[in-house]
Amino acid sequence: MLWVDKYRPKTFSEVVGNNKQKKVIEDWLEAWQNGNPQKPLLLIGPAGTGKTTIAHIIANEFSEHIELNASDKRSHDLLMSTIGESASTRSLFGENRKLIIMDEVDGIHGTNDRGGTKALNKIIKESKQPIVMMANDFYSSKLTTMKKNCQVIKMDKIRAPTINKFLRDVVLKNEEIEVDPDVLLKLSKRSSGDLRSAINTLQALVENGGELTEETLDITGQKDNTASVIDTVTRVLKSTNPINVKRSLRENNEDPTLVMEYIAENIPREYENNKEIKDAYEMISQADLYFGRARSSRNYGYWRYASDFMGPGVALSKKQTYKKFTRVTGPMAFSLMGRSRGQRALRDRIASKMEEKMHISLQVAYTVFPYFEIMFEDDVTAWEISDFLELEDDEIKRFRKKKIPKKVCTAMEKVKAEMREEEKEEWRNSIKQGIYANIPNQNDLSDDNSLVNDEYDAGMTIKDDFNDISDDELDAIASEFSLDNSKSKLNKNKKDKSKDNNKNNEDELIEEKPKEEKLEKGQTTLFSF
Amino acid sequence: MLGPWVEKYRPQTLDDVVGQKHIVGSLKKYVDQGSMPNLMFTGPAGVGKTTSALALVKAILGDYWRQNFLELNASDARGIDTVRTNIKNFCRLKPVGAPFRIIFLDEVDNMTKDAQHALRREMEMYTKTASFILSCNYSSKIIDPIQSRCAIFRFAPIKAEEIAERLKYIAEAEGCDYEEEAINTIVLFGEGDMRKSVNMLQSAASTGSITEDHVYEVVTKAKPQEIKQMVDAALRGKFMESRNILRDVMILQGTSGEDMVNQIYQDVSARVMDGKMSGEVYMELIGAIADTDFRIREGANPRIQLEALLAKFL
Repeated sequence: MLWVDKYRPKTFSEVVGNNKQKKVIEDWLEAWQNGNPQKPLLLIGPAGTGKTTIAHIIANEFSEHIELNASDKRSHDLLMSTIGESASTRSLFGENRKLIIMDEVDGIHGTNDRGGTKALNKIIKESKQPIVMMANDFYSSKLTTMKKNCQVIKMDKIRAPTINKFLRDVVLKNEEIEVDPDVLLKLSKRSSGDLRSAINTLQALVENGGELTEETLDITGQKDNTASVIDTVTRVLKSTNPINVKRSLRENNEDPTLVMEYIAENIPREYENNKEIKDAYEMISQADLYFGRARSSRNYGYWRYASDFMGPGVALSKKQTYKKFTRVTGPMAFSLMGRSRGQRALRDRIASKMEEKMHISLQVAYTVFPYFEIMFEDDVTAWEISDFLELEDDEIKRFRKKKIPKKVCTAMEKVKAEMREEEKEEWRNSIKQGIYANIPNQNDLSDDNSLVNDEYDAGMTIKDDFNDISDDELDAIASEFSLDNSKSKLNKNKKDKSKDNNKNNEDELIEEKPKEEKLEKGQTTLFSF
Repeated sequence: MLGPWVEKYRPQTLDDVVGQKHIVGSLKKYVDQGSMPNLMFTGPAGVGKTTSALALVKAILGDYWRQNFLELNASDARGIDTVRTNIKNFCRLKPVGAPFRIIFLDEVDNMTKDAQHALRREMEMYTKTASFILSCNYSSKIIDPIQSRCAIFRFAPIKAEEIAERLKYIAEAEGCDYEEEAINTIVLFGEGDMRKSVNMLQSAASTGSITEDHVYEVVTKAKPQEIKQMVDAALRGKFMESRNILRDVMILQGTSGEDMVNQIYQDVSARVMDGKMSGEVYMELIGAIADTDFRIREGANPRIQLEALLAKFL
């Protein structure tokens, strides 16, 4: 029996490492058990950190569970038919919850599992049942939507001492095997936070009377994961031996695109000849191209070419090895991004205001910035544009150092108020004209009152004396105009018109105001049904 | 309405749209018929794609255009999911007070292929209730199934006289005096891009008056000097300096990889046109720029690729 299964924890207290995360998960489980539905749980972390173990411990707490992992096909239809239904329905009787476990959700394939991610997101949103999902890659684009709707738990690598303790106090004690503590510690360290791999290695070495020594440890060919980015970069830049460079890259456990950024950053810091920089950077360019192709085609086999371009490729671009000490610098582009976060957020806030009001994309908005910088030198223009875009003070400061003078602001506010008044007046007039223009037409359309709704008629007869019509009723009439699609209302219109004819112009003006306001309201209600 | 002149003087009706007479003629027919197929507007920036679309929408949907119109910017870091849900929610509702609903999607060529395929489904599903207007710079970047579902209108850069006329109209409406030469200079640097031209006009006006000198001042100030400095540094063999400028421009100003490639291309072209660069060097650099452009479109990281490009200038 595999030790990994034999010693797989059955309860939360047996799970080692990730104590904080464990606490959150236990709370989540408790909430469910108290009949308190929770967001789906999304466990993200590297292999061997206990994701599956935890999922199975949770599963034991529920009466039923379904599990799907990467080996099952997970297309849209399939997901909807298998778990979609169970997720959105629930038993009529009792608290019978059905747990859904989805492993490797970041591995849902783009083409084979067409629509899988979409279906999953739908299920997550609508689910009434507890869901636990596991993923490896925290930054996978497949998880972006998911992360928003889930409780995300980031599982950390397990620390070497913790692994060491588990191997010693649980596994070896139980198996009654003794090994050299130093070698055991070494094994724990080499597993780089992957408890499963540590247990497997241990089992392979010591089961059936094998002896754990430093030599046997080396023979297993377990990866030496301890090469840091700095070591690798130094190796690439200093060495011209492709074998050493390749090995160093292979031993490095970091995200290869990050390693590439490190190498690129340090090329001009180490290489002094421009031809070398040029050739080395061409290699970086090629590597990057293959990373891009790997990403877009999901064919990660391309990574090996990328690795060769950025490793031996860069290393062999130099004609000489430099006998100098160069401090390896982290990618400055990243630190620039960190430092400029506030500045970029400000830029994007302004750009999205422009996007909304000026019908342009962010990219186009950025190109308008230089013009705004010039325009904002003028106080009035600055005020006009800021007012139009509803810019805040700090956003205005992006384009001009000084605040817009108070005097200018108050003067412009006044101008604006006047303009608004004018606009209103125009609006009023046009509405008035619009109403009158409509009426003769409707008269022509039909003189037949037989279709008029009785109720309506009754209502109207009371108001036969038009001079007594209150403002409220006028409003109501006005709002009916905006609909003017019902025959019964024609009658009303006519009456309205005759009333208007009876009146002199002054009265009309007074009465139009409430009408016009109501008309706007009428429109809004019109669209809300 | 106050605000930037580009918005203040955006033509509101099809008749007011500057240039593009043929296109406007066809669009007006749709208005007369009261119906329209899915449309695709392609052409460079600032030639009236969005303006024509908005004017058409207002004309064809009438008073209730706002309620029946959805404008989405496909290029702006919005996932296809957002676009899809937005479109779906919008199309599901019945058109109110108008014969159908219209969705305007800007910069469709910046959508990924996957997103375009998703869009195609949406276009098929709601043919009865909604029409689409898509706008893009290059129709070649649009997948065939979408192109075949649209009537395609190609917008050409606006003619110099037409831009000049519009600029004069705006200047007069704003009560600004202008020099004839100033207008001509703006038109020259505007390169058929109305948005850019109007922005230049307002910038010049805000520095006092619309004179030729002021226009030149605006052109120099607004044109990012960094590109020239960056290329200079690289050609002088100062790689680190050049690379730092590149990162500043891309990260702080948010300039896209595509824009960077365009600006570098223009800068290098200007050098050979001014006789400051030999033909051989020029061709070598163009080869490198072309490679970079291609690689970026292939899905590589634009910043890394442009850094490598600068190394080739050394």
